Amino acid sequence: MADSPVPPPAPAPADEAPPLLTPTSIPVEGAVAGGQGVVKRFGSTTALSGASFTIGRGVTGLLGPNGAGKTTLIGLLLGLHTADSGQVQVLGLDPGHLGTEVRARVGYAPEHHKLPPDVKAQDLVRHVAEIHGLPTREAAARASDALWALGLGEERFRPIGTLSTGQRQRVKMAQAIAHDPALVLLDEPTDGLDPVQRDQMLHLIKRVSTDYGINVVLSSHLLDEVERVCDGAVILAEGSVVAAGTLDQLRGGADRGLVAELDVGAEAFVDWLQQAGCTVTVDGLKILVTRGRSRPEHDLFDLARDAAVAAGAEIRRIGPQTVSLEDVFLGVAS
Amino acid sequence: MSSAPGEARILEGGYRRYDGVRSGSKGAIRSTTINAMQRALGLRRSARYKILPVLAAILAYVPAIVYAGVAALFPPNELLQNDFLPTYADYYGFITAAIVLFCAFVAPEVLCTDRRTGMLGIYLASPLTRTTYLLSKAASVLVVLAIVTLGPPLFLLIAYVLVDTGPDGPVEVARLAGQIVLAGVLISAFYSSLSLAVSSVTDRKAAASASIVVILLLSSVVTSVLVEGADATPYLLLADLFFLPFQAVLFIFGEAGPGETGEPLYSEITAPVVFAACLVWALVFSGIVAWRYHRLEVTR
Repeated sequence: MADSPVPPPAPAPADEAPPLLTPTSIPVEGAVAGGQGVVKRFGSTTALSGASFTIGRGVTGLLGPNGAGKTTLIGLLLGLHTADSGQVQVLGLDPGHLGTEVRARVGYAPEHHKLPPDVKAQDLVRHVAEIHGLPTREAAARASDALWALGLGEERFRPIGTLSTGQRQRVKMAQAIAHDPALVLLDEPTDGLDPVQRDQMLHLIKRVSTDYGINVVLSSHLLDEVERVCDGAVILAEGSVVAAGTLDQLRGGADRGLVAELDVGAEAFVDWLQQAGCTVTVDGLKILVTRGRSRPEHDLFDLARDAAVAAGAEIRRIGPQTVSLEDVFLGVAS
Repeated sequence: MSSAPGEARILEGGYRRYDGVRSGSKGAIRSTTINAMQRALGLRRSARYKILPVLAAILAYVPAIVYAGVAALFPPNELLQNDFLPTYADYYGFITAAIVLFCAFVAPEVLCTDRRTGMLGIYLASPLTRTTYLLSKAASVLVVLAIVTLGPPLFLLIAYVLVDTGPDGPVEVARLAGQIVLAGVLISAFYSSLSLAVSSVTDRKAAASASIVVILLLSSVVTSVLVEGADATPYLLLADLFFLPFQAVLFIFGEAGPGETGEPLYSEITAPVVFAACLVWALVFSGIVAWRYHRLEVTR
């Protein structure tokens, strides 16, 4: 073992380990919306307590349990509330002061799916396009186009009360995009849908972003649907942004560590890595390795390779440790 | 693999960007007002939603059409001497039912529906603010009520002028037209504010409509009983929400006050007091609406 690599000395332990995820900005070109230190109180209740976030292009999930502050955040983005302190920006404007200008370029589909039952889908979508500033003829044409695009071409002249829940959700989506917004806010858009309808709706949301070029904020408590369609997510808990980033960042890149399975030499492998300052957890056959106190200039995979050589271990499988959004959510929420 | 020209179909319309001009708040207010008026009148809706507006219009216009016909058939001097034709202030007595009917169903239709169906959230996510939204809705109620408060007397005036039973000379016609407009707007504004206030309190249209009728009738009965039966101060009549605007109309047409034939119970109350009471009530009702909507959470 004379040629075996020696574990690099770990730096002195820090007083406080850095959090796994921090509420950072999504690294995208040109943020669509964002907030810095946003505080919003309703009487004695603090709905948002210093939330900082960035919403990038594409589809961004707004996640959080009930009461986390999602609805308040949507209200702030729409300019329906004014922040008690901090700054909010949407499309480069402050919605608290320029609410009408912001709302002219933002579409919104609320959580409920009641809508006036006696109004034809086409009339409702046209009217919403008109109140967003489109001329009557253009609004009528675009209402028709939006309903066709969302698969309601044949049903667009039916009263909304005669449509199914899935069709009504599409009408809500159509009214939100018909006036060609730069950003659309969808509040629980799959609520009340069966699995097939839900699948179709998620496909439509992705299409709105990729094909139509409209940025989407999707408020949801269903993590799997956020994972399926979103490019990034902002996770709220008790009025604070507890994590934000692209889905890759949130689920864990290199910083989340690696997972290895060894045939022989596991014990020595673990010892070597621990001496190098890594945090190692053995879960059955799986060895979970995170950076811990190891030096940041050392690549974790290089350390694992050196550890395997030193321990004479035989690696069956090694790869980055990935976690589901649910794991992330449960981790940060707790 | 080619299609005949007649067989071509558009399978995917695609999505177009809109780079044109946007009308902003003004366009939003205009569109909301027109849409609310159409809704109240049952336009773009099935036949059953047109029954009430048509009924109210019939109640309001039929007497005017009948009197115009009578004026056209009989010599002007004979009609005027026999006092057969009603005065313009009197005419409101014929159309009270139509006014109350419109008052009771128009505002609930345009306000309660938006809250009950969640459209309020969609409206306020547009360039409209709570204030401009309420102004749009109030304007639509005012205009629709004016169909029954302003339309029939103006129709009568035009008909009378055409058959030579009307006022003499353009100055008199203009003065009377001004009085009619003032009276019609006053009644519309008063009842609009009342019905909007009631409609802002409940999401249920039927409850709002019933409450409006009950408030109007109850306020009239209670104040009359107290003033006539219990010798209470006649100023209590200023709380008679049903008759107060009509008393103001009598003053507008000069048919109330000393020596006139107006409501005798109001003989001690002067015109400025009646107008001020109308204004105060309208402000109170508008304040209720503003307060209610200021507190509403709309993104849930």
